Amino acid sequence: MSVEVRFDANSHTADAIQRAAYRFADRFSIELTQDGLDYRCLLHFATEPDAAAVDDFRTEVLDQVLRERIRAETEGARNLVLSLAFSNTHLVDDGDDPADQHTPR
Amino acid sequence: MNGQVLLTSMVGEHVFINAEEFALLADKTLPTDSPTFRRLQGKQIVAATGEQLPLELLAMKTRTRLRRLAEFTGLHMFVATLRCEHSCPYCQVSRQSSDKRRFDMSEETALKALQMTFASPSRNIKIEFQGGEPLLNLPLLEFVVTEAVERNELERRNLSFVIATNLALLDDEVIEFCRANHVYLSTSLDGPADLHNKNRPRPGDDSWERAVAGIRRIREELGTDRVSALMTTTEGSLDRSREIIDCYLEQGLQEIFLRPLSPYGFAVKTKSHAAYDVDGWLAFYEEGLDYVVELNKRGVGMVERYAAIILKKMLTNDDPGYVDLTSPAGIGIGALVYNYDGDVYASDEGRMLAEMNDKTFRLGNLHSDAYADILLSDKLLTPLESSYAGSAPMCTDCAFESYCGADPVFHHATQNDFVGHKAFSVFCRRNMGVFKLLLKRYESDPYARQLFRLWANR
Amino acid sequence: MIPLRGRAEQTNLARPLGRRVWLLTGIPTLTGMRQGRAYLVDPGQEDVLPEGFALYLTQPGHSLERPDLPWLELPELLGYLRPGDVLGISEDGHHLRVLWRHASRQNSLLLTERCDNYCLMCSQPPKEAEDGWLLDDARELIRLLPPDTEQIGFTGGEPTFYGQQLVELLKLCTTLIPRAGVHVLSNGRRFAVPEFAKAWASIDNPNLMVGIPIYGTEPSLHDYVVQAKGAFAETIRGILNLAELGQAIEIRVVIHQQTAPALIEIAEFIARNLPFVDQVALMGLETTGFARANLDRIWIDPLDYAPALTEATLLLDYAGIRTMIYNHQLCLIEPRIWPFAVKSISDWKNEYHAECQQCSVADQCGGFFSSAKYKVSSNIRAIPAEPSLHVTNVLATSEAGAE
Repeated sequence: MSVEVRFDANSHTADAIQRAAYRFADRFSIELTQDGLDYRCLLHFATEPDAAAVDDFRTEVLDQVLRERIRAETEGARNLVLSLAFSNTHLVDDGDDPADQHTPR
Repeated sequence: MNGQVLLTSMVGEHVFINAEEFALLADKTLPTDSPTFRRLQGKQIVAATGEQLPLELLAMKTRTRLRRLAEFTGLHMFVATLRCEHSCPYCQVSRQSSDKRRFDMSEETALKALQMTFASPSRNIKIEFQGGEPLLNLPLLEFVVTEAVERNELERRNLSFVIATNLALLDDEVIEFCRANHVYLSTSLDGPADLHNKNRPRPGDDSWERAVAGIRRIREELGTDRVSALMTTTEGSLDRSREIIDCYLEQGLQEIFLRPLSPYGFAVKTKSHAAYDVDGWLAFYEEGLDYVVELNKRGVGMVERYAAIILKKMLTNDDPGYVDLTSPAGIGIGALVYNYDGDVYASDEGRMLAEMNDKTFRLGNLHSDAYADILLSDKLLTPLESSYAGSAPMCTDCAFESYCGADPVFHHATQNDFVGHKAFSVFCRRNMGVFKLLLKRYESDPYARQLFRLWANR
Repeated sequence: MIPLRGRAEQTNLARPLGRRVWLLTGIPTLTGMRQGRAYLVDPGQEDVLPEGFALYLTQPGHSLERPDLPWLELPELLGYLRPGDVLGISEDGHHLRVLWRHASRQNSLLLTERCDNYCLMCSQPPKEAEDGWLLDDARELIRLLPPDTEQIGFTGGEPTFYGQQLVELLKLCTTLIPRAGVHVLSNGRRFAVPEFAKAWASIDNPNLMVGIPIYGTEPSLHDYVVQAKGAFAETIRGILNLAELGQAIEIRVVIHQQTAPALIEIAEFIARNLPFVDQVALMGLETTGFARANLDRIWIDPLDYAPALTEATLLLDYAGIRTMIYNHQLCLIEPRIWPFAVKSISDWKNEYHAECQQCSVADQCGGFFSSAKYKVSSNIRAIPAEPSLHVTNVLATSEAGAE
């Protein structure tokens, strides 16, 4: 049994839809095609279509779209903060194991 | 909230304005000579065209708030043994075995763990002994302390030691050891005896009695600041906040930590992220906090630790160093766990998950992996990066972002995802509840406001 | 109020005096050290005068039968002068200004009356005059002070107008009176220029502190109070520049009708943005100078802001910032913050109210500016003695009241 769900291709990416679909692999499988201005997802259920699963899927797609966009927008700040965290270790600039450099006398 | 809108700046300063003014502000039509505009300016939430100073002040404060990150791993947990004489139902890790070789940390492992400890550039190093019940492996504790102190002659860090123990096995030898090496003790006290003993069965059913006797002994023989207590909150605690606090008072303890419910055992069993009773816990917390404030009014100087941690983030630019409420998450870069067998975990909860067969947060092993391999592995960097609150939907838009944190372990356990969908997140719901509670109280109650400022600056 | 100016009763000077600044001495110092020293003659000792001083001073009502010596008679008003005090004397010997009192713990030197702020409540209204001679007098005075001098203050106007000359003057303090706590009052604006902040830092005196007022948390209020656009941004930037160079800073907040509503916010601003400051002085109003002209915009009864003052003081204290309350009578502030109150009004301005006769803590209270006769709170009340009352006072070690 199949259910069709459509997403506007302007505001969604295939990547986001696929990531969302992956999480639902235990509840349905999907076929994803581009149809004009939309992405067309055909959700295949083993038995009865599950309305709750479809709702959850839409929620998940939105989540993934936002994660992707916000990740990109905040990449600069995020990298800066994480590199600050590692800045006093010697882990990032060289590959030496600092644990070897401290030998107790 | 009550027709008022809360605004926060990127460094966590807050202002309440009324809804009408907020609408004008959002429209950018709020008059620049209005008192409200000036209040917002004073906290650099708005600025007049061309002003540079507000940006400089924000930049300065941001640097201050983030500077602790570069200290790197400060908390190092050594799991001295998995053996324990209690059999607490919610505990994931303990073993009822007297086979010391199987479940005790060896000196060889401990030495490797110390090497990794000092590889961190942090000026402050806290070594915390965990378990099981660490006092069952006292020789190893003595060994680690001796080696660490010797090594520190060279390293010159601020070194401190804590033993997380149920105190049931506290004896003269332990007291002397703690006295000689300035070791702190941290114990569990869930509340009155019936509540505590129900959570913590042991032969003789006297966990509470022993804990209380242990606390008294440490306070009298080592000093009142040498022992602290934490509670484990369970469903049974939720309508007994006053009794629990009174119990702490009776033991002479000046600080209580009204901790959140832990989802791990429950969540792993049910695989449900609709999880547990957040509203019930929030009601418990509010009642407990009210009581603590009231006690202070009556001259009893009790501190609620969870509020104090959050208030420090709200009212100052200092970092409370609490690894469970920070973004980027405290995994690895704030705390590391060295298990009895040499396995290294990103957090204590990560270790608990491993005991339930989920090794997502096992970063490597001391005997086979180098420091760089462990700290730079994808097992650490992926959850660290992906859970960063500034990049997460909802978090990035949230007024409370600078008070909150990222918890990839929690979200992995409850939603099977490092980031977690915050609309369904118990972590989010709970934290928001606490933030709102504290801010409302701060605004409306002058006495509480002053008390909160005192706590924030401890 | 101790008078600081007077006219000589009579003078006997053959020539104009060669200098303006004179240290009073009562002992016949070695001839080599008489430069700049005026001998204060003890009555009845006129016959045993040490020779060789460039100026002799007699007590009020006394003369010297010595037409050959340069001398002048002090007026009754200035009869309190003692050896160790410093006088500024006009060339013709007639006009006397007391520049330094050895017995005072709060000596302060006026360096200029020029200023680029025009504070609504300014007690030393700016004058556009060439008064560089004040700096010259200050230099001469420092050269006369004993090397173990413990305190010196500099005020204006705006002392930093002198730029490098001020830096040189302060370096002189560092070398000649190294133990002295040096306190300079400034609006802070010039420190926004990084070169000047660096020049200040080059003074390198660990006992040097600058006191800078802040009257708001954003430009419009502060700039309004000081009547100068752009002052807030410059002042804060100046403070930040100084902090980066490790310089000691005191923030002053004068509390009046305009600033009282923002007092807690100002305290929050200091705690969050300027937590490195060495101390904060929360100050009561002195109703003199511009404050009188602007009374309707300035005056507020301190009792009306007492709760806010308590909240602001404790906020700063909890944030770990040393906080002091100046120029507030104890009956007008809440007992909770009495420990922060400093007995700070310069002793030459100090007076008391009739109510204070019955007050049990009058000796710990700072009293009033003499200008308070002009306007004072109607809530001054003697505080009855109570066993539980306890005031721990911090004695002022630096100049507090605006001169």
